[in-house]
Order: sequence, then C-alpha cells, then structure tokens
Amino acid sequence: MFAISKLSPLLLSLVLLTPIVRAQSLSEAEVKNLLVRIAERRASSPDVRADFQEQKTMHLLNKPIVSSGKIWFHAPNKFRREITGNSPSVTVSNGRDLWIYYPNFKSAEHYSLGKRSPVDAAIAAINTALNLENVENTFQISGAKIDNAYDLQLLPRSASMKRMFQKFDLRLNNDLVAERTEMTQPNGDHIVTTYSNQTRAAIPALTFEFTPAGGTEVTNPLGR
Amino acid sequence: MRMSDLIARVMAQRRVLAWFGVAALAAACFGILITRIELDSDVINMLPKGFESVEGLKIYDRDFEQTRELTFALRCQPQDVDKLEEFAPTFAENLRKQSWCERVLAGSPMETPDGIRDLQSIAVPLLLNLEPAAFEQTMAILQPERIQERLHRLHQEIEAGSPRPEFELGFDPLGIIAPALKPFAEANAIEQEQPLTSPDRTMHVFLVVTNQPSLSAFECQRLMRQVNAFRARAGDGWEGRPLEVLVTGRSAYVAEISLSMRYDIVATLGSSVLLVGIIFFIGFRRWLPLLGMGFSLLLSCLVALAAGLLVFGRLSMLAVGFCAILVGLGVDFAILIFGRYQQARIDGEEYQPAIATSVARLGRAVFFGALTTAVGFLALILSGSMGFSQLGVLIAIGIFFAGLFMCTILFLFVRPGQAPQRHDWVFEIVKKYVRWSVQRPAPIIIVAGGILLLLSVIGFSPVPPLRFEASVRSLEPKNSRAAEALQAIMAKMPTRWEPVLAIVHARDAQELHDDWQRITAHWTELQQTGKIKGFSTPAALCLSPVWVEKNRERLRTVNLPAVRQTLEEALRVEGFSTDSFASAFRLLDDLRTVVDPKAPQPDWRKHLPKGAGWWFLVDRYFAKNPLLTTGFATTNEPVANHAQSKELSRELPVPGVPMILSGWSYTLADLQPWSQRQLLIISALMALFDVGLLAILYRDFRLWLIQIVTLAFGIGAMIATMKLLNLHLNLLNVLSFRLVLAIGVDYGIYVVLVWQKTRELEHDVAGVIKPVILAGLTAVSGFGSLGWARNPSLSGLGIACAIGIFWSLLATIFFALPAMAAAKPKVWSGQ
Repeated sequence: MFAISKLSPLLLSLVLLTPIVRAQSLSEAEVKNLLVRIAERRASSPDVRADFQEQKTMHLLNKPIVSSGKIWFHAPNKFRREITGNSPSVTVSNGRDLWIYYPNFKSAEHYSLGKRSPVDAAIAAINTALNLENVENTFQISGAKIDNAYDLQLLPRSASMKRMFQKFDLRLNNDLVAERTEMTQPNGDHIVTTYSNQTRAAIPALTFEFTPAGGTEVTNPLGR
Repeated sequence: MRMSDLIARVMAQRRVLAWFGVAALAAACFGILITRIELDSDVINMLPKGFESVEGLKIYDRDFEQTRELTFALRCQPQDVDKLEEFAPTFAENLRKQSWCERVLAGSPMETPDGIRDLQSIAVPLLLNLEPAAFEQTMAILQPERIQERLHRLHQEIEAGSPRPEFELGFDPLGIIAPALKPFAEANAIEQEQPLTSPDRTMHVFLVVTNQPSLSAFECQRLMRQVNAFRARAGDGWEGRPLEVLVTGRSAYVAEISLSMRYDIVATLGSSVLLVGIIFFIGFRRWLPLLGMGFSLLLSCLVALAAGLLVFGRLSMLAVGFCAILVGLGVDFAILIFGRYQQARIDGEEYQPAIATSVARLGRAVFFGALTTAVGFLALILSGSMGFSQLGVLIAIGIFFAGLFMCTILFLFVRPGQAPQRHDWVFEIVKKYVRWSVQRPAPIIIVAGGILLLLSVIGFSPVPPLRFEASVRSLEPKNSRAAEALQAIMAKMPTRWEPVLAIVHARDAQELHDDWQRITAHWTELQQTGKIKGFSTPAALCLSPVWVEKNRERLRTVNLPAVRQTLEEALRVEGFSTDSFASAFRLLDDLRTVVDPKAPQPDWRKHLPKGAGWWFLVDRYFAKNPLLTTGFATTNEPVANHAQSKELSRELPVPGVPMILSGWSYTLADLQPWSQRQLLIISALMALFDVGLLAILYRDFRLWLIQIVTLAFGIGAMIATMKLLNLHLNLLNVLSFRLVLAIGVDYGIYVVLVWQKTRELEHDVAGVIKPVILAGLTAVSGFGSLGWARNPSLSGLGIACAIGIFWSLLATIFFALPAMAAAKPKVWSGQ
C-alpha cells in the first residue's frame, strides 16, 4: 500500500498547493455581489437547458450509478429531467407536483412537493444548483474564482437543509450557469453532476407539465 | 316559656355561657376541618352520575396514560421559522433532561431513523398477528424468485432516479414489514395526519409524558412549579425575536383550577362581605351588628363545611362556592331580624323584650324562608352531580344554621345599652313608598305589571332563543394560561375536532382482539357510507393468540435458511451492499426464533423500546391495564347537540361488543337532555312544592295567586334579561332557576305573612319591606360577587342568580305589594 508519508514533502506541497495557486478566494462582499449578478441573470433569462452526466454513490449499492441525459429548468422551481440509457426515466416538476415516469415499467410515481417529505431533498438539490435564489438564507457560502468560473461551497445553515445536505459544492461557468455540482448527504450518499451544452433559450411551458399516458400505473409512494 | 323569650333571656342574661357555646362549636368545626379537609378539583366530578359517557370520561381520565401528558408549544415570529426549526431539537433535548419528564415526542417517529427502527422492532409480533390469509400472502414474498424479482426492480428504479426504492429498502428491506404494519397504518391514519409543526412553521409542538405519581391538585401544582421554572429558562440559546413557550395539558389545568379555587374563595367571599357590609351599614348605621352578622355567617359556613366533610369525606371544588352563596342568603335573616329588633327599640322596648319581639314576629318567616331555600338547594341532589349535590347539602345545612345563629348569636354583638337609631332616612323613603302603594296601588300595578309582563313574554317566548352552550370551553377557567395555550395551539394547527371515544374492556387478549376486529369492520362500513369521517383503533396492536399460533405453524413450513441464502445471492447479483441490509438479516433471525415451539408468543410491548415515540400513539389506545382500550371515531362535524350523540350511540356500537362511548364533546351533548330536565322537571317539582307550601301558609287564594304571578314575573324577566344580554345557559347555570325561585318565595313569605297579620301598616309592612329590600340587594351583591370567580361554573351561576334575584325583588316590591293592597285593602294609620 502506498503511504502518503512516503511522498516527497516537496511533491506533496506541490500537489496540495496547485489548486490554491490557480484559485482566488472571494470575499464576503464578492460572494454577495456574485449572487446579485446571478439573480439579475436569472431574472433576465429564467430558462436553462443542458446535458448532464451524474455519478451517484449510494450506501445501498456497492458501485456508483452513472447516468446521463438532459435537463430543462425554469426559475424558480420548474424542471424536467430525462435520463437515457438502459433505465430511462422522465422527471417533471411544475413546482407543486413531481412526477417520475419509467418507460420500461410503464409506471409513474407522483409526489406532492412542499410537504417536507424526503423527496423535497432531491428537488432542493436541483433547484439550488440551477436557481440559487435566496440561497444565502439557507446556506453559509464561501467561494473562489477559478479562471472565468466560480467555485462555491455551500454549508447548510438551517436544520431542514442540514437534514438534506451535509455539503454542497457548486461550480458556475462564466455565464453563471451550473457546470458541476457535488453533493454529500448525511447518510453518506454522494452525487456528482456535470452539466454541458448549457443554453438560456426559452423553454415552452408544456415542458414542465406531465400527464400520465393511458395504461400507465400511477403510484403515490408517500401517500400524500 | 316561649322559644323567643328563652332566646332573649339567654342572650341578655347568659352571654358568657353563650360565648362558651359558640367557642366550643367553632373549635369542634376547626378540628374537623384541619384533620379532614380534602378538596376535589376534578371538573368531571361536577357531571352527573348514571351516564355511561360520564363514566367513560372518568375511566379515560383515571386509567389512561394521556392524563400525564403535557403539550409544549414554541411559537416564534414568521421571520424566525428557520431558527425555530434549528432550536426545536435543542428544546426537546432540554425537555428530556428534566427530572419530571419521562418521554418526549418532538416529531413524527416515522421521520427519524430511531422511529423507523423502533417500528421495525415490533414487526414480528404484528406480522404473526396478521389475518391468516394475509399472512399467507406475505409469506409468498419470501419465495426465492419473488425476492430476486423485487430487488432487481428496485435496482432498476434506483438507476432510473427514483427516490422511492431508497425509502422502501431503508424501511423494509425484506418486503414483509410493510404488509405486517399495514393494518397498524390503516388503523392510525387519523393520528398520522396530525403534524407537530404548524403549516406556517411558526409553531412547533412537543408532547411530553411526565412522571408525576398522581393527578392530585397538590401534585399538579408541584409539577407545574417545576415546569414553569423550566419554561423560564427554556429560551436559553434562542437567538431570534421573542419566543413564546406555551404549556397545556391536564396537569396544567388542574394546577390552575386548584390555585384559582383559593382566589375564588378569597375574591368572592371578600367582595361579598364588603358589598353586604356596605348595604347593611347604609340600612342600619351600625358596625357591631354588622360584625356579628359576618361572624354568624362565617360560623354557619364553618359548621356547614365541617358537616359536609363528615358527610362526604371529600368536597368538590364547586362546593367551596357555597360560602359566597350562603353569605348572600343568610344575610337576609340578619337584616330581617335586626331590622325588626331595631324597630322594637325605636318603639321603646328594652333590650331583652326587643329581642323577644323580633324573634317572635319574624322567627316563623325566617324558619319557612330557610326551609324553602334549603329544599331548593337540596333539590340539587336530584341533579346526580356529586359537585352540585354537595353544594346543595352544604347550603341547606348552612342556611339552617344561619337562620339559627341570626336569631341567637347575632344578639351577642348588639350592645344592650346602645340607644336606638333616631333618624332612618331609608325607612322614611320605604314608608313613603309603602303608603303610596297602599293608597294608590293601581298606577304602580299597571306600570310594574306592564314592564314585567312584557319581559316575561320575551322571556317565555321562543324568539329570541335562550342559547344553550354545551361546549367544553364553557367550563374552562377564565384567564387560564393552559386554556390560552390550548387555544393558540388549536388556532395554529390543522383543524380537527375532538373524536368520540369508544372504550372497550375485554376479559382476555383473544376477546379484545375479536372485539376490535368487529368494531373496525363495522366502522369501516360507516366510513364508506359517510356516516363517520374516519377512525383509529388499536385493532392492529391487539394480538390474537389464535392467529399468532396458526401463523407460527405456517411460518415453520418456510425454509428460512434458504430465504437468507437467496437474499444474500440476490444482493450480490444486484450489487447491493450487504451492510445496508443488516436489518433484513436480523428480521430473518427473529423469525427463526419465534418458530421455536417452546418460544413464548411474541409481544410487541416487550420489543418496543421504552423511549420510543410510538408509545405516545400506543398510550392513546391502551390503559395501564392492557385489556382496557379505546378507539377514536372522527365525526363529519363537531358533536354539538344531543341528536348527534344519539345517532352516534346508535351507529357506533357493535352488537355483542360492550362499548362505552365518551369524550368531552360527546358527553356534553349527551347531557343536554339532563340539563333541560334539570331546568324543567326538577324546577317544576320544586315549584310545585313551593306552590303547595304557599297555599298552606297563606290559606288565601288571591294572595297565593299574586305570589305565583310574582314568581312567574321574576323568572320571566330573568330569562328575558339573559336573552337580551346574550348570556347563555350552560350545564351549570341552569341550576340558578331553582335558586331564584327559592329566594323569590322567601321574599313573598316575609311580605305576605306580615300583610296578613298586621294592623299597623307603618310599623309592620314598611318595617319588613325595608329589610327585604336590603336583603335583596345584599343577595344580589352576594351572588353578583361570584362573577369575580375564575371558575366559570361559579361565575355563571352567580351572575344568573343575581339577575334573577334582582327581578324577584322588584316584582315583590313593585307588583306583589300593590297587588295585595288592591286585593286585600288595609287602612294606613294616618288615614
């Protein structure tokens, strides 16, 4: 086994300090300023669409799950997420309801949002990444500027957020759109999502509505 | 020797002996009071006996753990909701550290890992308690292909991004816990709808079970002192705007009520004595007799209290209100007797003859007055309520002693050598009025009769209605912090009215199980047909020894080692972490243990950890005796009238299952006919007694009729006033009618008996009208002072009586007197 103590001290310092050399920490005022700019950008262009790739490490599974697909987002809380591959799914939220449709099983799950159910955690993650609205109220934020991008570290302030996240790291591109998110949950689950091909073109409202097709088996897993 | 002469002689010549007698009596009463005093502050004991619903309340109150439950609520400003969420666990942890705290529920147990683990721990007993067909279906889940298929599907759903498999596998990794708990979940749907955080997140509720050894008043006071000390420092660590810490619950109420009893005694007795004293002084300009009157009244209260303790052993909180009522009533006798004594002195009689004259002339009226009042109050025994029965008996005893003391001890406080009052402006005014009403009765009869008739028409007509309030709130103490906290919590939390309780006591576990299975089936039908909104029962937790044994037999046929092997293999194939499925393996081990024929039948009580939040739910269903249980039926709307309670008593029971229906709302609705019967039948019986007594006493139809009409006017005007002032009847103040009737009869007796016998109107009629007016005003003050009481039953009763006596007095003075003068004219001495 390779022990870290056997590394040359010089090499070790180089390895550890390399990112610091490139990253420039943001002051509190600069973070605030950045959030204002994000809010302005969101107000002028509330729609975002992107491709994504996600790696999810779960305590239930021995190996991480890798999935990819597309995402559509309309500020503040509407989104659609389509996963392609062997286990495809379509997740649609209009801010009040969340639908997850599984074409392979011809079944759909329906969740009501805002009832403090565990599913709100997943939604909060997406909204936090793509929206960042009022995020300073629920998170303690620190950040750094790296080239033209920004790295933000979000530590939850409120008990409700602490139940959902242990840590939330976010990288924004120069258009202030999420490029990468890394989330650690209290149960140890770890999700890394990378976004690409982001655009701010307008998205039709129907994208965020879902009506189950005939023959679809609909369940309400949380019973509410 | 006549009794009046004997009394006069003892009071005039054996004063020291009389004082010794008084001291001995007082000492004996104090001795009884100190050694025996025990007060019952339980509001339930004010309700009548003989009603199943009342008995049910007593059982629920006595045998179920929830009576030791306190509800805490933290209320913050809307801006601080996140801070409250963060502070709530700290507050809950501080609560748990308190010496008086046994258990705390700070959130739904289903939302915490501990709560889920606790629920999993009772899965085996509940699994074995499934109906055998359902158990068979559940066992099918353990077939190898079903295990593989389920885990494969869950894996695919995880890959597709569904959050559901994570919840499902976290709670039920093997797939048999959910079916085992399905009956439990279904039977508790209503309970689970009750969140502990308000929808606007400004309030967080905590349920606490205390370890207080009893619910006695002193124990509750002791607990609440500790709770209030905790409350004072409960906000430590809070950084937001002001945070309110509210507390309510049975102990909070009992502590407040028992403390308010002390206030009620001091405030009502104090104000009553003060008001009565002022009126007495205005009437007679004497302090010493006033002191004597107060002393005699207190002594009669003391004697009645001592006698009551000897008779009942324990006195209700309501009974302590008798002191103020007794002062209001007993002062009548003092005023009448002393008024007549003073008049005799003005007429030139010496001390001893004046006493003899006073007792001789008014002793009979005092005796009959005491008799009618005592009978009126003794009629409270028919109410069936222990509190009211005691009140009636105490007042009946007290009033007799008050009558006796006013004819005797009162004169110990009258100085023999004191000169009589020279100028009495009250008497002069009364004399002028009596002269006017005797000489020209018609205008007074027309005016007073017209007003009283109009009020009586309003009073006895169905419109506007006299509202009857049957809500629990009508019994809550005024300015109660516990009541305010409860209201604040009810206002913030989702609306749900009190359910109807169904108490079932079985002889053994199997009977209990069978009873609740039948009740659940019946109530499901009622729910489906819309007759009830919902229900929750302990059915799933009532274990059936027969089913458990049958299911154990079936379980022995399942190859559990093979199931374990299949699970391990399926986990490996699907890539699941074996560590995450530890609870599934534990469950299989538990199942292997229970199939052992030598193993006892599993009992969920032994598996559920002592600190589990689920005990809050369990304690709602099970009493300390596990065969005594209760279920809850939620009606489509709050139970507010007798028709609803009648319908529920028809619909909810199941033939062959002994069941007691109860709950505060249900009981109060159930008692409505009792209250109305109180108002109508018992009052009518008493009225018949009075009517008969008056007929025997007067032996004159016209005078008798005048008296009856006067009484009707008094009651009619009283009801009209209550309607116009929007004062509602409640279960307790309906009793005021008989009291008003009794006192109204007294006034009539004093005036009519004197009118019948007198030849000197100036002396006798004016001489009795003045004391009657003073007595009436003092009675109004005495009863009105009960309005200060925090106990709503006492204050409501006092206010209603004060209104009724006021109108009875007016009817006697302004209608009965001129009517008698018109019907039986007499010549004024000046004419």
